[in-house]
Amino acid sequence: MESIKLWFEDFAADFRQNFIDEDRWKMLLEGLGVTLTITFFAVLVGIVLGVIVAAVRSTWDKNRTAMRPGIGKVVLGFFNWLCKVYLTVFRGTPVVVQLIIMYYVIFASSNNGTLVAILAFGINSGAYVAEIVRSGIMSIDPGQMEAGRSLGFNYTQTMLYIVLPQAFKNVLPALANEFIVLLKETSVAGYIAIEDLTKAGDMIRSRTFSAFLPLLAVALIYLLLVVVLSWLVGKLERRLRSSEH
Amino acid sequence: MSTNSLIVVDNITKSFAKGSIHALNGVSTHIDKGEVVVIVGPSGSGKSTLLRCMNLLEVPTSGSIIFDGIDITDPKVDIDLHRQKMGMVFQHFNLFPHMTILGNMTIAPIKLRGLTKEDAEAKAMELLTRVGLADRANAYPSQLSGGQKQRIAIVRALCMEPEVMLFDEPTSALDPEMVGEVLDVMKALATEGMTMVVVTHEMGFAKEVGDRVLFMDEGKLVEDASPEEFFDNPKNPRLQSFLSKVL
Repeated sequence: MESIKLWFEDFAADFRQNFIDEDRWKMLLEGLGVTLTITFFAVLVGIVLGVIVAAVRSTWDKNRTAMRPGIGKVVLGFFNWLCKVYLTVFRGTPVVVQLIIMYYVIFASSNNGTLVAILAFGINSGAYVAEIVRSGIMSIDPGQMEAGRSLGFNYTQTMLYIVLPQAFKNVLPALANEFIVLLKETSVAGYIAIEDLTKAGDMIRSRTFSAFLPLLAVALIYLLLVVVLSWLVGKLERRLRSSEH
Repeated sequence: MSTNSLIVVDNITKSFAKGSIHALNGVSTHIDKGEVVVIVGPSGSGKSTLLRCMNLLEVPTSGSIIFDGIDITDPKVDIDLHRQKMGMVFQHFNLFPHMTILGNMTIAPIKLRGLTKEDAEAKAMELLTRVGLADRANAYPSQLSGGQKQRIAIVRALCMEPEVMLFDEPTSALDPEMVGEVLDVMKALATEGMTMVVVTHEMGFAKEVGDRVLFMDEGKLVEDASPEEFFDNPKNPRLQSFLSKVL
């Protein structure tokens, strides 16, 4: 009985020291804010880049043989090559390395770490999103494109109104997974001196010399975020599907 | 070739796989306004390719397609504008599964012809009533039978008020029971004077509704005759053997 009481007193003291004293919980809260900001904007950058790259790649793959030789084909072929280089480089190197290069080399003159992190994570994520979206576009029956074109829509309109909405629905689980990975990947932002959630937990540890509680709290917050995100995606998926069956 | 030809097909060829397969070998014909032209032939004879060349879903390797007096195979021509006037119905319906029936029918008139949502829906409802599917306006394609889907595909194309309707084996993917309801819609359309080009295996339809029947074999157009002539007095030996098997 006595030992349980002692353990609780220890725990309470630990808790107070790590989260209450000097308002240390605020560090976690601010870190969470930074993590969410970076993730949110990186997702946006990733989607925009990914959809553009996927559109170029699948347009090339589907129309290369049917295209008339000429300037249009050369330009599209060049962009397709550029997209392939982008995919190879950003999927072929670790995101931490990309982040550090961005911060210390490419944007060495900028001290806005958050912006650099958003760009680095966004550009990295875009490469994965591109391949996910491309697989979605390729999975749609070619008859859908033909039906759209036969009504008089041009290629871009058919993509926007007919193909992409269906492709998006098909790849939603894979996309959600990519964003959950991205949320957790931002935990390396501390490498460029950004005080995100992980860094905040680590800073508390370095000041209180107690590792267990702050790092456990960080882990729990990530877990909670992922669970909530997965739940939201599940809801969205069910809603999209209900329109079909 | 009469002056009121809506579509003129001028000596077109189409080869696939870098020229190793010749789907069309110099086909010329014409479709006049108000005419119902039925194209029949064995599978692989190029009849679907010919139809798909008419609205440039397949680009001919050589030769030209004149639609409404304009050579649409000219790369400078905006084919999208011309396709708005050429409705097409596919073997596998190709309805948009993420939209309701009304959505399927109104998206093109709204986005391409600038109709208001109300006007487009009123027009769509009128057409749906005509094919007896007004009660399915808010259903999704997956909730319909094959015959219903194909009737919707026909009226979806009609919503753009086309000058010609191209049918690519419209009944081939249907249960036998459902073929009749789709053919009835097509017959009604023909009676109203719509110009139609129909690739089909339905010889009864060709006989009853067709103004001209074309027979294709190995990428060539080998017979072009009135239905009476076509079925009662076929000249081409390949057509004679074809008819002896299908009739």
